[in-house]
Amino acid sequence: MARVAMTRNPLVAAAIVLTVAATGAAGWGGVSRYQAGHDSSAAYAQTRDDVLAAGEQAVQNMNTLDHAQLDKGLDSWEDSTTGDLHQQLVDGRDGFVKQIQEAKTVSTAKVLAGSVTELDDRAGKAGVMVALRVTVTAPKGKPAVKESRMLGQLTRTPDGWKLSALGQAPVGNTAG
Amino acid sequence: MNTDVEENEDTATAKAADEKAEPALEAAKEPAPEPPEQTDDDDNGARRERRWPRVLAGVLVVALLAAGAVMYAAGRQLRDTPATSNRALTDSAATAQVAGEVTNALGKVFSYSPDGTDATKASAQKLLAGKALQQYAALFGQVEKQSADQKLTLTTHVVRAGVTRLTPDSAHLLVLLDQVYERKGRAASKAAAQLSVTARLREGRWTIVEITSR
Repeated sequence: MARVAMTRNPLVAAAIVLTVAATGAAGWGGVSRYQAGHDSSAAYAQTRDDVLAAGEQAVQNMNTLDHAQLDKGLDSWEDSTTGDLHQQLVDGRDGFVKQIQEAKTVSTAKVLAGSVTELDDRAGKAGVMVALRVTVTAPKGKPAVKESRMLGQLTRTPDGWKLSALGQAPVGNTAG
Repeated sequence: MNTDVEENEDTATAKAADEKAEPALEAAKEPAPEPPEQTDDDDNGARRERRWPRVLAGVLVVALLAAGAVMYAAGRQLRDTPATSNRALTDSAATAQVAGEVTNALGKVFSYSPDGTDATKASAQKLLAGKALQQYAALFGQVEKQSADQKLTLTTHVVRAGVTRLTPDSAHLLVLLDQVYERKGRAASKAAAQLSVTARLREGRWTIVEITSR
């Protein structure tokens, strides 16, 4: 059949070739699209950026507290955390409220730089390090500005990545 | 001339319209009266048979090409995002390499002893470049004198280095340092420092080109 068609009309042969080529192009496009959708390194890269954004925001939240808006601040602390850290904050809330109401301090934080140090996409665990500047203003005296460096562990929850542990990066003389 | 062209165009359009309308015509009113120029029944049937696959093939080719192009574009869009252009952590070997080399370099250039300032200076020449080297040279002039006069020893230890952004030839890192100052006859004092570091890959080695204290 094909041979007959070819001898009759070269256009038909060209059309067949073109159709086959177009089918190939469609198939290739499909495969490319499928692979991109299932590209684990692209998904991993996106997760890394999500973790950094969530981590920086959470660390900033945890270093921000205004005695005049204590509930709002402590709610944001609890929203930024999960697991044991979250439980500690919930348990210690009453005592902390008292403490801050007496001190009447306002803390604000600015993230200077941050980085994801580890990320286990499957387990939903990640580590971040954040350099930030914390300004604490007491009713009397000048605002105290302190550069701080914190290491955080994040855990994936249904509501996004949240801090499950947070601490100052170990320094020889934090007490000084 | 103009009229000729217009006429030709008109004919071509009419033909195309005719071709497109053909399947519908055929299906709807098979025994319809033939157009005036098609007098021979057999000839018309043969033409029709030849046109059919042509139109179908044309539509098929266009549809397949379009589908391929759309899917390819969608794939590119998924793959080439700002997130994927940053290889920090996704390329774990390269991430470990740059973090390791920058860690070593900072440890060397920010550590000195009264007798060893020459060695420190030499390693700085090798490990730093650009703006970082200029800043360092300005700073180190004072340090060198101080170190000799006061018998001062500085040891820098990287606590942690994190790669924020990584491309094949450039990297941004956040590095946490501990620095220990020792002066003869006094207790050592420790200080924390945070640096944002920009590094470039030169001849297979990462060179620090910019340092910002955080």
